[in-house]
Amino acid sequence: MKTINSIVAVLQREFRITFRNFSDILSIFLFFFIGIMIFVFSVGANNDIFNQIGIGIIWTLILLTNNLTLRKFYQDDFNDGSLIIFHLSGLSYELIVLIKIIVNWFVIQIPFFILIPIAGFLLNIEIFNIKIIFISFLLGSPIITCITSISGSMNLLNKKNFAIGSLIIMILSIPVIIFSVGLVNTAEELMRDQINILLGIMFLFLAITPWICSICIKLAIQEK
Amino acid sequence: MLLANNIVFNRDNKKILNKINLTISYEKIIHVTGNNGSGKTTLLKILTNILEPKEGGIFWDGKNIKKDPFIFYKNLTYIMDRTSSNVSLTVDENIFFWMRLFSSSRSIKEIESILELLSLYQYKNTLVSSLSYGEIKKLELVRLIIEQKKVWILDEPYIGLDQISTNLISETIINHARLGGMVIFTSHIPSNIPNLEILHLKNYEND
Repeated sequence: MKTINSIVAVLQREFRITFRNFSDILSIFLFFFIGIMIFVFSVGANNDIFNQIGIGIIWTLILLTNNLTLRKFYQDDFNDGSLIIFHLSGLSYELIVLIKIIVNWFVIQIPFFILIPIAGFLLNIEIFNIKIIFISFLLGSPIITCITSISGSMNLLNKKNFAIGSLIIMILSIPVIIFSVGLVNTAEELMRDQINILLGIMFLFLAITPWICSICIKLAIQEK
Repeated sequence: MLLANNIVFNRDNKKILNKINLTISYEKIIHVTGNNGSGKTTLLKILTNILEPKEGGIFWDGKNIKKDPFIFYKNLTYIMDRTSSNVSLTVDENIFFWMRLFSSSRSIKEIESILELLSLYQYKNTLVSSLSYGEIKKLELVRLIIEQKKVWILDEPYIGLDQISTNLISETIINHARLGGMVIFTSHIPSNIPNLEILHLKNYEND
Protein backbone atom coordinates (compact mmCIF):
# COMPACT_ATOMS: atom_id res chain seq x y z
CA MET A 1 0.00 0.00 0.00
CA LYS A 2 2.85 2.35 0.91
CA THR A 3 4.57 1.65 -2.42
CA ILE A 4 1.35 2.35 -4.34
CA ASN A 5 0.99 5.62 -2.42
CA SER A 6 4.54 6.56 -3.37
CA ILE A 7 3.97 5.64 -7.04
CA VAL A 8 0.76 7.71 -7.19
CA ALA A 9 2.56 10.62 -5.48
CA VAL A 10 5.40 10.59 -8.01
CA LEU A 11 2.96 10.24 -10.95
CA GLN A 12 0.89 13.19 -9.72
CA ARG A 13 4.01 15.29 -9.17
CA GLU A 14 5.36 14.53 -12.62
CA PHE A 15 2.09 15.43 -14.35
CA ARG A 16 1.74 18.59 -12.25
CA ILE A 17 5.27 19.78 -13.07
CA THR A 18 4.80 18.96 -16.77
CA PHE A 19 1.56 20.89 -17.08
CA ARG A 20 2.94 23.77 -15.00
CA ASN A 21 5.65 24.09 -17.66
CA PHE A 22 3.13 23.78 -20.49
CA SER A 23 5.03 26.25 -22.68
CA ASP A 24 7.85 23.69 -22.95
CA ILE A 25 5.46 21.08 -24.37
CA LEU A 26 3.83 23.63 -26.65
CA SER A 27 7.19 24.63 -28.13
CA ILE A 28 7.99 20.96 -28.76
CA PHE A 29 4.80 20.48 -30.78
CA LEU A 30 5.31 23.80 -32.55
CA PHE A 31 8.71 22.47 -33.61
CA PHE A 32 6.95 19.42 -35.13
CA PHE A 33 4.47 21.57 -37.05
CA ILE A 34 7.02 24.07 -38.28
CA GLY A 35 9.10 21.09 -39.46
CA ILE A 36 6.11 19.79 -41.46
CA MET A 37 5.52 23.24 -42.95
CA ILE A 38 9.20 23.52 -43.96
CA PHE A 39 8.87 20.22 -45.85
CA VAL A 40 5.66 21.44 -47.53
CA PHE A 41 7.32 24.70 -48.61
CA SER A 42 10.58 23.08 -49.74
CA VAL A 43 9.11 20.17 -51.70
CA GLY A 44 6.04 21.99 -53.05
CA ALA A 45 2.47 20.78 -53.48
CA ASN A 46 3.28 17.45 -55.08
CA ASN A 47 0.78 14.91 -53.78
CA ASP A 48 2.57 11.88 -55.23
CA ILE A 49 5.89 12.68 -53.52
CA PHE A 50 4.22 13.23 -50.12
CA ASN A 51 2.23 10.02 -50.46
CA GLN A 52 5.52 8.20 -50.92
CA ILE A 53 7.72 9.98 -48.38
CA GLY A 54 5.10 11.53 -46.06
CA ILE A 55 5.31 8.77 -43.43
CA GLY A 56 9.10 9.10 -43.47
CA ILE A 57 8.85 12.86 -42.94
CA ILE A 58 6.42 12.42 -40.04
CA TRP A 59 8.56 9.75 -38.37
CA THR A 60 11.74 11.80 -38.81
CA LEU A 61 10.11 14.82 -37.19
CA ILE A 62 8.72 12.68 -34.36
CA LEU A 63 12.28 11.50 -33.66
CA LEU A 64 13.68 15.04 -33.76
CA THR A 65 10.87 16.23 -31.50
CA ASN A 66 11.67 13.48 -28.99
CA ASN A 67 15.29 14.63 -29.09
CA LEU A 68 14.12 17.94 -27.63
CA THR A 69 12.66 16.19 -24.59
CA LEU A 70 15.90 14.32 -23.89
CA ARG A 71 17.47 16.81 -21.44
CA LYS A 72 14.28 17.04 -19.38
CA PHE A 73 13.84 13.29 -18.90
CA TYR A 74 16.00 12.86 -15.76
CA GLN A 75 18.29 15.88 -15.56
CA ASP A 76 16.19 18.16 -13.30
CA ASP A 77 15.36 15.39 -10.81
CA PHE A 78 18.98 14.29 -10.87
CA ASN A 79 20.36 17.78 -10.24
CA ASP A 80 18.13 18.56 -7.26
CA GLY A 81 18.44 15.08 -5.73
CA SER A 82 14.77 14.15 -6.21
CA LEU A 83 15.75 10.79 -7.72
CA ILE A 84 17.50 9.95 -4.43
CA ILE A 85 14.48 11.07 -2.40
CA PHE A 86 12.15 8.90 -4.54
CA HIS A 87 14.50 5.97 -3.92
CA LEU A 88 14.70 6.57 -0.16
CA SER A 89 10.89 6.49 -0.06
CA GLY A 90 11.08 2.82 -1.01
CA LEU A 91 10.88 2.95 -4.81
CA SER A 92 13.54 1.07 -6.73
CA TYR A 93 15.29 2.96 -9.51
CA GLU A 94 13.73 0.55 -12.01
CA LEU A 95 10.25 1.55 -10.82
CA ILE A 96 11.16 5.25 -10.95
CA VAL A 97 12.28 4.78 -14.58
CA LEU A 98 8.99 3.05 -15.43
CA ILE A 99 7.01 5.93 -13.91
CA LYS A 100 9.07 8.43 -15.91
CA ILE A 101 8.47 6.43 -19.11
CA ILE A 102 4.70 6.32 -18.50
CA VAL A 103 4.51 10.07 -17.84
CA ASN A 104 6.66 10.92 -20.84
CA TRP A 105 4.60 8.66 -23.11
CA PHE A 106 1.35 10.29 -21.97
CA VAL A 107 2.61 13.84 -22.18
CA ILE A 108 4.82 13.73 -25.27
CA GLN A 109 3.50 10.86 -27.41
CA ILE A 110 -0.29 10.92 -26.87
CA PRO A 111 -0.69 14.41 -28.43
CA PHE A 112 0.85 13.00 -31.61
CA PHE A 113 -2.31 10.93 -32.13
CA ILE A 114 -4.01 14.29 -32.80
CA LEU A 115 -1.04 15.89 -34.54
CA ILE A 116 -0.37 13.03 -36.99
CA PRO A 117 -3.74 13.28 -38.85
CA ILE A 118 -3.30 17.07 -39.08
CA ALA A 119 0.25 16.60 -40.40
CA GLY A 120 -1.09 13.93 -42.79
CA PHE A 121 -3.71 16.39 -44.04
CA LEU A 122 -1.05 19.09 -44.57
CA LEU A 123 1.10 16.63 -46.51
CA ASN A 124 -1.91 15.33 -48.51
CA ILE A 125 -1.30 11.75 -47.38
CA GLU A 126 -4.07 9.25 -48.21
CA ILE A 127 -6.42 8.27 -45.38
CA PHE A 128 -5.34 4.61 -45.60
CA ASN A 129 -1.69 5.59 -45.17
CA ILE A 130 -2.57 7.83 -42.19
CA LYS A 131 -4.20 4.77 -40.58
CA ILE A 132 -0.96 2.84 -41.15
CA ILE A 133 1.07 5.65 -39.56
CA PHE A 134 -1.31 5.44 -36.59
CA ILE A 135 -0.70 1.72 -36.13
CA SER A 136 3.06 2.10 -36.53
CA PHE A 137 3.09 5.02 -34.08
CA LEU A 138 1.00 3.11 -31.56
CA LEU A 139 3.71 0.44 -31.48
CA GLY A 140 6.67 2.70 -32.19
CA SER A 141 5.99 5.47 -29.68
CA PRO A 142 6.66 3.37 -26.53
CA ILE A 143 9.93 2.26 -28.17
CA ILE A 144 10.91 5.87 -28.90
CA THR A 145 10.07 6.82 -25.28
CA CYS A 146 12.23 3.95 -24.00
CA ILE A 147 15.09 4.99 -26.28
CA THR A 148 14.78 8.61 -25.09
CA SER A 149 14.83 7.33 -21.51
CA ILE A 150 18.01 5.29 -22.14
CA SER A 151 19.65 8.23 -23.84
CA GLY A 152 18.51 10.64 -21.08
CA SER A 153 19.95 8.40 -18.35
CA MET A 154 23.23 7.96 -20.26
CA ASN A 155 23.44 11.73 -20.56
CA LEU A 156 23.61 11.92 -16.75
CA LEU A 157 26.98 10.19 -16.99
CA ASN A 158 28.18 12.51 -19.69
CA LYS A 159 29.01 15.97 -18.41
CA LYS A 160 30.57 17.37 -21.57
CA ASN A 161 29.08 16.22 -24.86
CA PHE A 162 25.29 16.36 -24.84
CA ALA A 163 25.06 15.71 -28.60
CA ILE A 164 25.91 12.06 -27.89
CA GLY A 165 22.44 11.63 -26.32
CA SER A 166 20.78 12.71 -29.56
CA LEU A 167 23.08 10.42 -31.52
CA ILE A 168 22.08 7.45 -29.35
CA ILE A 169 18.39 8.17 -30.04
CA MET A 170 19.02 8.37 -33.78
CA ILE A 171 21.04 5.15 -33.91
CA LEU A 172 18.73 3.08 -31.70
CA SER A 173 15.68 4.33 -33.63
CA ILE A 174 16.85 2.96 -36.97
CA PRO A 175 15.05 -0.43 -36.62
CA VAL A 176 11.86 1.35 -35.50
CA ILE A 177 11.99 3.66 -38.52
CA ILE A 178 12.70 0.77 -40.92
CA PHE A 179 9.73 -1.32 -39.76
CA SER A 180 7.37 1.61 -39.15
CA VAL A 181 7.95 3.32 -42.49
CA GLY A 182 8.12 -0.09 -44.17
CA LEU A 183 4.52 -0.77 -43.13
CA VAL A 184 3.24 1.63 -45.80
CA ASN A 185 5.16 0.08 -48.65
CA THR A 186 4.86 -3.56 -47.64
CA ALA A 187 2.45 -6.05 -49.21
CA GLU A 188 -0.74 -6.66 -47.23
CA GLU A 189 0.16 -10.28 -46.38
CA LEU A 190 3.53 -9.16 -44.92
CA MET A 191 2.01 -6.40 -42.82
CA ARG A 192 1.21 -8.73 -39.92
CA ASP A 193 4.86 -9.87 -39.80
CA GLN A 194 6.11 -6.28 -39.72
CA ILE A 195 3.67 -5.48 -36.91
CA ASN A 196 4.86 -8.55 -34.99
CA ILE A 197 8.47 -7.41 -35.35
CA LEU A 198 7.55 -3.94 -34.05
CA LEU A 199 5.67 -5.59 -31.15
CA GLY A 200 8.75 -7.69 -30.41
CA ILE A 201 11.02 -4.61 -30.39
CA MET A 202 8.51 -2.81 -28.14
CA PHE A 203 8.44 -5.62 -25.55
CA LEU A 204 12.23 -5.95 -25.70
CA PHE A 205 12.71 -2.24 -24.96
CA LEU A 206 10.04 -2.23 -22.24
CA ALA A 207 11.89 -5.11 -20.60
CA ILE A 208 15.45 -3.81 -20.81
CA THR A 209 14.99 -0.03 -20.44
CA PRO A 210 14.31 0.06 -16.66
CA TRP A 211 17.45 -2.01 -15.99
CA ILE A 212 19.73 -0.04 -18.30
CA CYS A 213 18.45 3.33 -17.04
CA SER A 214 18.61 2.36 -13.37
CA ILE A 215 22.26 1.30 -13.78
CA CYS A 216 23.09 4.60 -15.50
CA ILE A 217 21.26 6.60 -12.77
CA LYS A 218 23.03 4.73 -9.96
CA LEU A 219 26.43 5.27 -11.62
CA ALA A 220 25.67 8.95 -12.21
CA ILE A 221 24.61 9.45 -8.56
CA GLN A 222 27.81 7.78 -7.38
CA GLU A 223 29.94 9.94 -9.65
CA LYS A 224 28.28 13.27 -8.72
CA MET B 1 21.90 1.00 15.99
CA LEU B 2 23.79 2.22 12.93
CA LEU B 3 27.36 1.01 12.62
CA ALA B 4 30.05 2.00 10.14
CA ASN B 5 32.84 -0.54 10.19
CA ASN B 6 36.33 0.25 8.86
CA ILE B 7 35.17 2.47 6.01
CA VAL B 8 37.76 3.10 3.32
CA PHE B 9 36.92 5.26 0.31
CA ASN B 10 39.13 6.43 -2.55
CA ARG B 11 38.27 8.74 -5.41
CA ASP B 12 40.49 8.97 -8.50
CA ASN B 13 43.22 7.12 -6.57
CA LYS B 14 43.04 9.77 -3.83
CA LYS B 15 42.35 8.60 -0.32
CA ILE B 16 39.22 10.30 1.02
CA LEU B 17 38.25 8.16 4.03
CA ASN B 18 40.60 5.76 5.78
CA LYS B 19 39.30 3.17 8.25
CA ILE B 20 36.45 5.21 9.69
CA ASN B 21 34.57 3.49 12.51
CA LEU B 22 31.36 4.95 13.79
CA THR B 23 28.56 3.82 16.07
CA ILE B 24 25.34 5.77 16.20
CA SER B 25 23.08 4.51 18.93
CA TYR B 26 19.68 5.79 20.00
CA GLU B 27 19.61 9.23 21.67
CA LYS B 28 23.03 10.04 20.22
CA ILE B 29 23.99 13.09 18.14
CA ILE B 30 27.19 13.09 16.10
CA HIS B 31 28.68 16.20 14.52
CA VAL B 32 31.03 15.44 11.62
CA THR B 33 33.60 18.18 11.13
CA GLY B 34 36.55 18.67 8.80
CA ASN B 35 37.99 20.94 6.16
CA ASN B 36 36.67 21.15 2.63
CA GLY B 37 37.40 17.91 0.80
CA SER B 38 37.88 15.91 4.00
CA GLY B 39 35.02 13.58 3.00
CA LYS B 40 32.13 14.71 5.19
CA THR B 41 29.48 14.50 2.45
CA THR B 42 31.11 11.31 1.14
CA LEU B 43 30.79 9.70 4.57
CA LEU B 44 27.09 10.60 4.75
CA LYS B 45 26.54 9.22 1.25
CA ILE B 46 28.22 5.97 2.28
CA LEU B 47 26.05 5.81 5.42
CA THR B 48 22.95 6.16 3.21
CA ASN B 49 24.16 3.48 0.75
CA ILE B 50 24.35 6.02 -2.09
CA LEU B 51 28.10 5.49 -2.38
CA GLU B 52 29.82 2.18 -2.00
CA PRO B 53 32.97 2.09 0.17
CA LYS B 54 36.10 0.41 -1.14
CA GLU B 55 36.35 -1.49 2.13
CA GLY B 56 34.12 -1.92 5.14
CA GLY B 57 30.37 -1.91 5.52
CA ILE B 58 27.40 -0.17 7.08
CA PHE B 59 25.21 -2.18 9.42
CA TRP B 60 21.70 -1.37 10.62
CA ASP B 61 20.55 -3.43 13.60
CA GLY B 62 23.29 -5.94 12.85
CA LYS B 63 22.50 -6.39 9.16
CA ASN B 64 24.53 -5.03 6.27
CA ILE B 65 22.35 -2.34 4.64
CA LYS B 66 23.56 -3.43 1.19
CA LYS B 67 21.53 -6.65 1.48
CA ASP B 68 18.19 -4.88 1.78
CA PRO B 69 18.63 -1.10 1.85
CA PHE B 70 14.86 -0.51 2.00
CA ILE B 71 14.69 -1.89 5.57
CA PHE B 72 17.17 0.82 6.56
CA TYR B 73 15.44 3.48 4.42
CA LYS B 74 12.22 2.91 6.40
CA ASN B 75 14.11 4.41 9.34
CA LEU B 76 16.10 7.08 7.52
CA THR B 77 15.60 10.74 6.65
CA TYR B 78 18.42 12.14 4.59
CA ILE B 79 18.75 15.87 4.03
CA MET B 80 21.22 16.48 1.25
CA ASP B 81 23.50 19.42 0.57
CA ARG B 82 21.07 20.13 -2.28
CA THR B 83 17.40 21.07 -1.94
CA SER B 84 15.01 18.54 -3.41
CA SER B 85 11.86 20.69 -3.47
CA ASN B 86 10.71 21.32 -7.02
CA VAL B 87 10.87 24.96 -8.09
CA SER B 88 7.84 24.64 -10.39
CA LEU B 89 5.61 23.65 -7.47
CA THR B 90 4.33 25.72 -4.55
CA VAL B 91 5.44 25.19 -0.94
CA ASP B 92 2.14 23.39 -0.23
CA GLU B 93 2.40 21.16 -3.29
CA ASN B 94 5.92 20.08 -2.34
CA ILE B 95 4.83 19.34 1.22
CA PHE B 96 1.78 17.32 0.16
CA PHE B 97 3.95 15.42 -2.30
CA TRP B 98 6.42 14.46 0.45
CA MET B 99 3.55 13.56 2.81
CA ARG B 100 2.11 11.19 0.23
CA LEU B 101 5.49 9.86 -0.89
CA PHE B 102 6.45 8.91 2.67
CA SER B 103 2.87 8.01 3.74
CA SER B 104 3.15 10.55 6.55
CA SER B 105 0.60 10.44 9.35
CA ARG B 106 1.14 14.10 10.24
CA SER B 107 -1.99 16.22 10.17
CA ILE B 108 -2.28 19.37 8.07
CA LYS B 109 -2.57 21.37 11.31
CA GLU B 110 0.76 20.04 12.56
CA ILE B 111 2.46 20.89 9.27
CA GLU B 112 0.93 24.37 9.24
CA SER B 113 2.19 25.06 12.76
CA ILE B 114 5.70 24.01 11.68
CA LEU B 115 5.46 26.29 8.66
CA GLU B 116 4.48 29.12 11.01
CA LEU B 117 7.45 28.38 13.27
CA LEU B 118 9.77 28.52 10.27
CA SER B 119 8.06 31.71 8.96
CA LEU B 120 7.01 29.88 5.81
CA TYR B 121 3.24 29.86 6.36
CA GLN B 122 2.64 33.03 4.36
CA TYR B 123 4.42 31.41 1.39
CA LYS B 124 2.41 28.19 1.34
CA ASN B 125 0.85 29.05 -2.03
CA THR B 126 4.03 30.59 -3.41
CA LEU B 127 6.15 28.86 -6.04
CA VAL B 128 9.44 27.59 -4.61
CA SER B 129 11.22 29.45 -7.43
CA SER B 130 10.14 32.71 -5.76
CA LEU B 131 11.66 31.83 -2.36
CA SER B 132 15.12 32.77 -1.12
CA TYR B 133 17.80 30.09 -0.60
CA GLY B 134 17.32 30.19 3.17
CA GLU B 135 13.56 29.70 2.82
CA ILE B 136 14.04 26.78 0.40
CA LYS B 137 16.49 25.23 2.89
CA LYS B 138 13.94 25.61 5.70
CA LEU B 139 11.30 23.98 3.48
CA GLU B 140 13.68 21.06 2.94
CA LEU B 141 14.04 20.65 6.70
CA VAL B 142 10.25 20.27 7.03
CA ARG B 143 10.86 16.76 5.65
CA LEU B 144 12.36 15.83 9.02
CA ILE B 145 8.95 16.35 10.62
CA ILE B 146 6.95 14.87 7.73
CA GLU B 147 8.89 11.61 7.47
CA GLN B 148 8.96 10.77 11.22
CA LYS B 149 12.00 8.49 10.93
CA LYS B 150 14.44 7.40 13.66
CA VAL B 151 17.72 8.15 11.88
CA TRP B 152 18.44 11.66 10.66
CA ILE B 153 21.43 12.15 8.39
CA LEU B 154 21.84 15.83 7.66
CA ASP B 155 24.37 17.37 5.30
CA GLU B 156 25.06 20.99 6.28
CA PRO B 157 21.59 21.65 7.76
CA TYR B 158 22.52 25.15 8.98
CA ILE B 159 23.71 26.59 5.66
CA GLY B 160 21.62 29.59 4.57
CA LEU B 161 19.63 29.76 7.81
CA ASP B 162 19.24 32.84 10.03
CA GLN B 163 20.01 32.68 13.78
CA ILE B 164 16.38 31.99 14.79
CA SER B 165 16.05 29.09 12.35
CA THR B 166 19.50 27.76 13.34
CA ASN B 167 18.42 27.64 17.00
CA LEU B 168 15.13 26.03 16.00
CA ILE B 169 16.89 23.29 14.04
CA SER B 170 19.29 22.67 16.96
CA GLU B 171 16.32 22.36 19.33
CA THR B 172 14.58 19.99 16.92
CA ILE B 173 17.71 17.82 16.74
CA ILE B 174 18.01 17.74 20.55
CA ASN B 175 14.32 16.83 20.93
CA HIS B 176 14.59 14.11 18.32
CA ALA B 177 17.52 12.51 20.17
CA ARG B 178 15.71 12.89 23.50
CA LEU B 179 12.74 10.99 22.06
CA GLY B 180 14.96 8.07 21.08
CA GLY B 181 16.14 9.15 17.65
CA MET B 182 19.69 9.36 16.33
CA VAL B 183 21.26 12.18 14.37
CA ILE B 184 24.46 12.58 12.41
CA PHE B 185 25.15 15.89 10.73
CA THR B 186 27.96 17.80 9.06
CA SER B 187 28.55 21.47 9.62
CA HIS B 188 31.35 24.01 9.52
CA ILE B 189 29.54 26.05 12.15
CA PRO B 190 30.33 25.07 15.78
CA SER B 191 27.13 23.71 17.26
CA ASN B 192 25.63 24.71 20.61
CA ILE B 193 24.04 21.28 21.06
CA PRO B 194 25.07 19.75 24.43
CA ASN B 195 26.53 16.22 24.79
CA LEU B 196 27.57 16.22 21.18
CA GLU B 197 29.99 13.61 19.90
CA ILE B 198 32.39 15.09 17.38
CA LEU B 199 33.98 13.12 14.56
CA HIS B 200 36.75 15.11 12.93
CA LEU B 201 37.78 13.99 9.44
CA LYS B 202 41.24 14.90 8.23
CA ASN B 203 42.45 15.54 4.70
CA TYR B 204 44.85 13.01 3.19
CA GLU B 205 47.77 13.91 0.97
CA ASN B 206 47.83 12.46 -2.54
CA ASP B 207 49.60 9.12 -2.73
